[in-house]
Amino acid sequence: MRYIEWFVLFLLAACGTGLANLIGYGVSFADSIPGLAVLIVISMAAVLLTKILPLKLPIVAYCSILGLAAASPISPVKDFVIQAASNINFTAPFTMVGAFAGLAISDQLKTFVSQGWKLLIVGIFVMTGTFLGSCLWDQMLLSLAGVI
Amino acid sequence: MSRKKETYVYGSLKERFQLEWKIYALAFGFILIADWIGQIRIPVGKGMFILFPIFYAIILGVACGPQVLKIVNSKQVKAASKLVVVGICPFIAKLGITAGANINTILESGPVLLLHGFGNLLGPLLAVPVAILLGMKREAIGACHSINREYHMALINNIYGPDSAEARGSLSIYIVGGMVGTIYFGLMASLVGMTGWFHPQALGLASGVGAGIMMASASASLRAIYPAWSETISAMASVGETIAGITGMYITMLIAIPMCDKYYRLIEPVLGRFALKKNDHPEKSA
Repeated sequence: MRYIEWFVLFLLAACGTGLANLIGYGVSFADSIPGLAVLIVISMAAVLLTKILPLKLPIVAYCSILGLAAASPISPVKDFVIQAASNINFTAPFTMVGAFAGLAISDQLKTFVSQGWKLLIVGIFVMTGTFLGSCLWDQMLLSLAGVI
Repeated sequence: MSRKKETYVYGSLKERFQLEWKIYALAFGFILIADWIGQIRIPVGKGMFILFPIFYAIILGVACGPQVLKIVNSKQVKAASKLVVVGICPFIAKLGITAGANINTILESGPVLLLHGFGNLLGPLLAVPVAILLGMKREAIGACHSINREYHMALINNIYGPDSAEARGSLSIYIVGGMVGTIYFGLMASLVGMTGWFHPQALGLASGVGAGIMMASASASLRAIYPAWSETISAMASVGETIAGITGMYITMLIAIPMCDKYYRLIEPVLGRFALKKNDHPEKSA
């Protein structure tokens, strides 16, 4: 995608987030705008990095690292960033992701139904094992490190 | 209107809009409906299941697809799958900011965080025997080696070839994960969170399993269960997901897939004898 496409789509996603923030949490558009702007800037910077850096990391990894850097104590704008982002509710950006994800998998519904209960069971075991394994492992790591 | 669409690379922004406007309009419609309904909390024992607007949005999305209400066609479905990344980027950025604001919590946890990601390997250990008992052959390796998101599937295709049994298995679980993964992770995290076996900080970290949307769903549930820990949970989830995103590729390639392959060859000769046959009748002869 071109930069302009990314930008316009992020703008659109920001509108969706603002809408969810308004309807779901009663935060007005005016209050959402600074936070949305911050999120768009970080996301665009992540797009830029994926295009210019030779290192092949997923774009979300850059979003996460840039977000962390922007809000960390070394950042000169951290107060503004943290304050602005705090107006965006945690789950507000999330509904639009669900809308896209639902539409994106909608042509797999028949395949899903036809593969039947056996694959559903296997999938449930994979997901449960993965999450439970992570919980056990991370609990152990953090205990050993004396954090919890 | 239809000349360049086949390749899904748009000639211009305008062209993109001409194909995708319906997706955008639907997405805004879903947000209106889903966030208007809001969270629904269902008490279960001491705890609760929480239904989030994203769940309704997914269901609405599937319902509007070419196989139910036919409001969007398959070209638009393809386009929507590219848009998921666009939607998830600002969300991950927001989580990154939470992590940066709580950087002390993260630094306190120290370098052990880098080892997060190996816990995922319990997934194949549990699932391979189940898959074999249910009658899967080498499909089990692809199906069970991980939660089978795009990059896992790419690795399996790369190693075993796109026509292999392993790739078929991987694709199946990719579809299952897409259909029920987000909702299941939300409910499962509620359930695991309620047991009180794990520290909220560990639960937050564990949410980062290497799939952004599943991490988001799990951590949203955990935040609702442990409101006092919500910032920590988000910060840890963000770090966990980032680390899983970076190390996950290597863990899958160098450990999960070879391990799954060995494990399958080790236990299939034994468990395979008790497996359900492909065309078993309901009374099950096994």
